[in-house]
Amino acid sequence: MNVETLTRPDNTAEKKTQEVVFPFPEEAAQEKLSVEDVPVIMEIKNIDKSYSGSSKVLKDISFDIRKGEVLSIIGPSGAGKSTLLRIINRMIEPNSGVIRFQDKDTLNMKGKALRHMRTDIGMIFQHYNLVDRLSVFENVLHGRLGYKSSLQGIFSMYSEAEKEKAVEIISELGISEQIYSRCDELSGGQKQRVGIARALIQDPKIILCDEPIASLDPNSSRIIMEYLRRISREKDITIIVNLHQLDVAKQYSDRIIGLNDGSIVFNDVPEAITAESINHIYGSNLEELIVE
Amino acid sequence: MSTYVDRSSKGKIKISRPNKGQLKFRMLIIATILFTIAGFFMMDYKGLELWPAITGTLVNLRDMFLMPQLNQITLGSAIWQVIITLSLAFLSTILGAVISLFLAFGAAMNLSKPWVSQTIKTFITIVRAVPTVLWVLIFAIAAGLGSVAAIIGMVFHSIAYLVKAYSEAFEEIDEGKIEALRATGSNYFHILFHVVIPQTKSFLIAWTFLRFEINFGVAVAMGAAAGAGGIGYALFMSSGFYYDMNEVGMITYMILIVAILLEVVANKLKAAA
Repeated sequence: MNVETLTRPDNTAEKKTQEVVFPFPEEAAQEKLSVEDVPVIMEIKNIDKSYSGSSKVLKDISFDIRKGEVLSIIGPSGAGKSTLLRIINRMIEPNSGVIRFQDKDTLNMKGKALRHMRTDIGMIFQHYNLVDRLSVFENVLHGRLGYKSSLQGIFSMYSEAEKEKAVEIISELGISEQIYSRCDELSGGQKQRVGIARALIQDPKIILCDEPIASLDPNSSRIIMEYLRRISREKDITIIVNLHQLDVAKQYSDRIIGLNDGSIVFNDVPEAITAESINHIYGSNLEELIVE
Repeated sequence: MSTYVDRSSKGKIKISRPNKGQLKFRMLIIATILFTIAGFFMMDYKGLELWPAITGTLVNLRDMFLMPQLNQITLGSAIWQVIITLSLAFLSTILGAVISLFLAFGAAMNLSKPWVSQTIKTFITIVRAVPTVLWVLIFAIAAGLGSVAAIIGMVFHSIAYLVKAYSEAFEEIDEGKIEALRATGSNYFHILFHVVIPQTKSFLIAWTFLRFEINFGVAVAMGAAAGAGGIGYALFMSSGFYYDMNEVGMITYMILIVAILLEVVANKLKAAA
C-alpha cells in the first residue's frame, strides 16, 4: 500500500517520458535487415590527416557507410574521432585519400558543390552550438540556409512549406511549447533536440553526431539516443556518432568502429566486441575501465 | 630557521619578494611623487593674490550654477542649437557605425583572412592615435571650416573606435556556432547575419551609443573650435565674447540634461535588445 503510493508518481513520470521519447508512429519502427543487404552510401578510402608539424592524427582510414545504419565511433581521447567526423563533411580537409558520396568525389568539390554536399549531411554537437539569442524556430530554420542564395538567407526568406516542415519536426521532437523561446532558456536535453531538428530539416542522408550526450544527464542522454536510433529506422537516415560511453555504443549501434591512435582497430557489429578488442581500442583491460 | 625567507637589513622577515616589474613600478610611483612636490616649489606665484583669486572663482561658479539664465540668445534658439549639435553627433555616429560594421567583419580574426585583418587593424590604430580635433582640422583644409569638416573628421575617428570595439565583440563568438552553420551548407553572408549579428547585437548597440555620447561631447567642442555651429558655438560666444557667466551656466545645464537623457535612452535600448 505504502509502496504503491510511493511509486505512483514515478510511473506517471515514466509514462510522460515515454510520450516524449516515442512520438513517431509505432508501426514504423521495424527491425532492420541484415547489414549486407543495405546499400553503401559513402565510401571512405585511405584517408590520412596530419596537422602542420605534428604526427599523423589519422592513418590510412578506410570504411564504408551504409544507408540507415547507426554507426558508433569509439576510442580514447585524442584518437582522432572528431577529426574523422569533420572530414566526412569536409569541415576539415584530409591530406590524402578518397571519399565517394552519392557517386561523387567530395574531396574535389568547391563553392556551390561543396555547400550542396553539406546540405545532405546534418551535424549535431556536444555543446549544441545553437545561436542562443535566437528562438528555437529560427535556429531550426538555419538548417535550410544551405539551400538559399545570399540575399534569401540574409533576409530570412523561408517558404511556407519550409516553415510548416519545421513546425512538424519541432513537434515530433516534443519541443513545440518552446517554439518561440530563446534557446538560452532551454535545458541541455531540449537544446540537443533543437540541434537534431536543425539537422533533420536539412533533409539529410547522413547525420554526424559529435559526442551528442557528453554534456547531458543519463535520462536526457537516453532520450537523445532513442531519437537518433528512431530517426535511422524510420527516416532511413544514417547516424554516425562519436561516443565515449562503451555501453551506449553497444546498446544503440548497428556497427561500431574502434579508433586508436589514428587507426581503425575494430569494425564490426556490437555483438562481436570482446574483452580483447576493448583492450585494442582503449589500450587497457576491461576491468580497468569505467564502462558505465 | 628557514633559508627560504628574505630578511631586511635589520633582520626582520619580509612577507613578499617583488619581481623586476614590480620594482620598476615602485620606482615610477616614487619618482612621480617627488616631481609633483618639487613642481609646487618651482611655480611662479608672483602675480597671484590668493584670496581674491579664490573668491573670484567662487563668484564665477555661483553665477554659473546657481543663477543660470539666458541673456544673448532666447530659449528657443538655444534648444535649436542643441538640436543642431545632436544632429552633428547623430549623423557622424550613424555613418561611422554602418561603415565600421563592414570593416569590422574584415578586421575580426575569426571571420577574415589574417592579412586583411592585420591591414585594417593597423590602419585604424593609426587613425585612432590622432585626436578627433586634428582630423577635423585636417579635413577643414579641403572642406573649409564648418560642419562638413567636423562631420568628416568625427566619422573618421568614430570608425577607428567602433571597428576595434565591434571586431573584438565578433572575435568573442563561440567558434562552434559558426562551425554549426558552415556544416549546414550556409555561406559567409548567412553566417554574418544569422550568427554574428544576433549573437553580438547588444554589444553593438552599447558600443554605438557610447560613441554617440562621445560624439555629442566632441560636437560641442567642434562648434567652437571648427565653427561647426550648434550649442558649442553659443557657449564660445557667451564665455569668450560676452563674458556672460550666467549664460555659460545655463548652456552647461542644457548640455548636461541632454547627456543624461542619452544615457537613459541607451540603457532602455540595451535592455530591449
